[in-house]
Amino acid sequence: MAEERMVKMSLAEKLGYRKGDLKNFVKYIADDPKQACKDFIYGKEHERRNIGDLYIQPTGLYRHREWRGLKDTLYYFNVIWCYNYGMMVADILSAEKPLRFFQGIWRYRWLGQTYIPVLHWFDRGLEGLRGPALRASAWHYRGMVHATIEQFMRMFARDIRFNGKETELWRKTVLHNETVSGSIFYPFRDGGLVDIPLEMIPYFVTCHVNSNTVLHYIDAIQTLGLPADPCPMCQAEAGVGIMDDYPDSAPCIVTSNEACDASVATSIIQDWFLNRPLYAMPQPMRYDDPLVQKRCQEEIEGAWKFVEEQTGVPFSWESFKKYAELQNEQLYFEREKWDVAARTNNYPINGVAQALYRIYYSQYGWNETWQLLDSRVRKIMENCVANQIDTFPKTRHRVIAWSCAPLYYSNWCTWAYNCWGLNVVINMDSLMFDKDIRTDTYEHALEDLGWYNELAPMRAMAVGGHEHIFKLWDYMEQFNCDMVAMYDQLQCKGMQGIKGMFEDEFRRRGIHAFWLPHALPDKRTVSRKEIRDGISGYMINVMHEEPLDPSLLDFDDDLTW
Amino acid sequence: MIPLHNWDCNCARLGILFLRKGESIHMRDLKNMIKFEDLLLEAHNDLVRQAKEEGKKALGYTCYFMPEVLLNLPGCFSVRLRAPRSASPDMATYYMSGRTCMYGRALMERALEGGFNFLDAQLATETCTVTCRFQEHLQMMPELIDNPDFFCEFTDVPFKKNDISIQHYKDQLQDHVLDVLHDKLGIDISDEAIRKAIEEQNEINRVIREIGEYRKLDNPTITGFEFALCQLVALACPHYLILPMLKETLEDLKTREPDPKPDYRIKVVLAGSENDDPYFVQLIEQCGARVVADRYCYGSLPGRDEIEIREGETALDAVARHYLESSQCTRFMEQHVMRQRKEYLANLVKEYKADGIIIEQMKFCEYWSYERMIDTFVLRRDYGIPVCSIEKEYTNNAVGQLRTRFQAFIESVELKKLQEERGVG
Repeated sequence: MAEERMVKMSLAEKLGYRKGDLKNFVKYIADDPKQACKDFIYGKEHERRNIGDLYIQPTGLYRHREWRGLKDTLYYFNVIWCYNYGMMVADILSAEKPLRFFQGIWRYRWLGQTYIPVLHWFDRGLEGLRGPALRASAWHYRGMVHATIEQFMRMFARDIRFNGKETELWRKTVLHNETVSGSIFYPFRDGGLVDIPLEMIPYFVTCHVNSNTVLHYIDAIQTLGLPADPCPMCQAEAGVGIMDDYPDSAPCIVTSNEACDASVATSIIQDWFLNRPLYAMPQPMRYDDPLVQKRCQEEIEGAWKFVEEQTGVPFSWESFKKYAELQNEQLYFEREKWDVAARTNNYPINGVAQALYRIYYSQYGWNETWQLLDSRVRKIMENCVANQIDTFPKTRHRVIAWSCAPLYYSNWCTWAYNCWGLNVVINMDSLMFDKDIRTDTYEHALEDLGWYNELAPMRAMAVGGHEHIFKLWDYMEQFNCDMVAMYDQLQCKGMQGIKGMFEDEFRRRGIHAFWLPHALPDKRTVSRKEIRDGISGYMINVMHEEPLDPSLLDFDDDLTW
Repeated sequence: MIPLHNWDCNCARLGILFLRKGESIHMRDLKNMIKFEDLLLEAHNDLVRQAKEEGKKALGYTCYFMPEVLLNLPGCFSVRLRAPRSASPDMATYYMSGRTCMYGRALMERALEGGFNFLDAQLATETCTVTCRFQEHLQMMPELIDNPDFFCEFTDVPFKKNDISIQHYKDQLQDHVLDVLHDKLGIDISDEAIRKAIEEQNEINRVIREIGEYRKLDNPTITGFEFALCQLVALACPHYLILPMLKETLEDLKTREPDPKPDYRIKVVLAGSENDDPYFVQLIEQCGARVVADRYCYGSLPGRDEIEIREGETALDAVARHYLESSQCTRFMEQHVMRQRKEYLANLVKEYKADGIIIEQMKFCEYWSYERMIDTFVLRRDYGIPVCSIEKEYTNNAVGQLRTRFQAFIESVELKKLQEERGVG
């Protein structure tokens, strides 16, 4: 449908031109020059923005960028647009082998299709933001872009396909499932080991930036006979492997059972196509049973031994200690952020930036970039708290988002705030990895690291007993939320298997909750528009509320990145 | 009594349908088969009722990783949960949605209907997501089982077969099975009691394996359907009550003559996910393939291997080691174990003189979605074994498509055999 619509559009329409645009603009200035001037300097107030009119339907592209007032527009243009484009080039030039970028673009579909739309990804996530919320959220985005470039340039520098042979860099690298935390490899980082989360860039990051890329990989694995019903994230990860689209960057791999049956099965299929020494490092399912902790720790030690044997890089306690302490500092700041989010209206990070940044950095492990960016965000946040700045002034409901989010529409919460005043304060995956690592003794460190990994995303709440998934009620109270956005990942067996109990509990507790059906990376199953329609339906029919920005109620962005 | 729920199977047993022209069923009826079919019509069957009346505690479980032997200590008996004659699980679908494995939902529906009220406890494992969620519902909804003393206890099962995992598993069994049975039901969990339970378990395992051995004959004297009945009653009924009947069946089998001309066209190994439906096996056989080996959840391979207590081991050591090492479950993640699973299947084909493998997968079973895909590819490519790969539901309702698939597979294997005989290709 969307494709047909595009064919029928004239070139001018495709470029965003609408008849009468100029006339309307002149009329707007002529009617009330004072107001127009005010809008130019400060930006329009929320209810008059009509952000939906900016879209070229069904592409989701903008006819023109949003005017956010003089200060914020200049900030956006200079510090977000220009700066990030510049840094995307600088990051590549400062990598180990900069020219590999062009080989990578040519060889790997996931890179070729996602590098260009990066700034559109910023636009989608930061739409409608003003002041400190715009600034702090954008710094989180910047951190993710930097880490992504660093990561894929490392992969390319080691890639046997490009080097033609095994190199020293290749030998000192270990691949691991993206669900294995980078913290496992801290003991080897100062010894020159590089750990690469196998699927994080080719799959996870690309889905957010360009939702079309991953569809090819899902189709690929299904052509081999995999049914369409297993978790599409795992399908896509397996599909990247089947298409031989993982760079050959390391001699060995560490896999994990996180977070579900399909993850285990994906690890198994990875064994067949990667065909190299593999260490399976499963975490216990009933993870808060005291009996399982020792075994969990022994598995981590087993992984360390495996890495030593395969790469020749020795275990270093000092290295572990150093990075674990840095990670703890980062976690302390995360908790400060939660505290501000929970107790005040001064939290300057929007729902999507909070969710993506948190899962990204905690899975990746400590990195200098995070430290630098956190210091900038801290300044912004402290300023908001000191001056009591209401960062999301149009908040009608404080929302907690529960279960796993749609990767192709992680910015739904930006839309929900702009359209309905739904402020997603916190989400389930941000609350994972909430564990300090003691570094006074090896035993304490190992014990805490075991726990840390047991509390991984998509896992800590989803396995090990229903009481974990029902921690929602405690977090709702803690974050002072009055509404739940319940993600309904249609192919997640763990969440589907407990759906009715949530319904019962919502009714019993009198909680307003809307379900948000999706298929993780696969936008074909539930489109973005269907997601929005579901939320709007709830807000109109159940909550009997009027939209803040009616132009966002109905628009088609089916073909967007 | 001949059950009336499945016209096809009754007719087949009576030799009325599915015979090719000029053929007849010669093998006489095997002793106890009708009784076994009756027992499998209800989870709460006559033998379960009898054992309950005798004061024994009924312990439910769903997975091989909950060692059957520990649930058959003196004073209690195991019942591997099934939901025979399930229709549409509407109430369970409210709780677990329509996008989860129907086995889990059918069990939930049966529980909601009151079909598991006879249970005194559920010994649960978090080994696959949906059965775990079903068992969590047993915990969350105390009204589900109409028994005020009912409890559900979970055991963590490792994903590897190394020494760490065996120790982990042993600790779990001690804490979450034995100690709980002792504390809540007063069961004797001493080493002697476990050793005795192992002896009894080995006896029933031996009998079933002996029955199963007749499937290895060039012209097997037992059908896959008959064997499935024997295997399933052993899982679903108290051992001490079913064992004498199984022994009778074994004795009867010793003198059973095979058909002079086999009534099947090829022999197959059936592998895959959960299958507790003997009529699914029968469906395959009606299409012309004799099922000679059963490597699926609820199957006898390798589930009926004898438990060996090695020197220096306690009885619980032996149980933990045995169940972890013998399992061919797809959740094991170690590289050599993943690859060995394919070899195990290939060896079954050789050992049971099968012509091919049927890999079945319960719809929405994620483990077997992947494993089936890999098996279909690897067994054909690396071992040259013809593979029929199918997806099925828990209830054996829409059989038309499956029948067509099986028939096509059988024809292709026959054709291949003919070509080989004639030296073509």
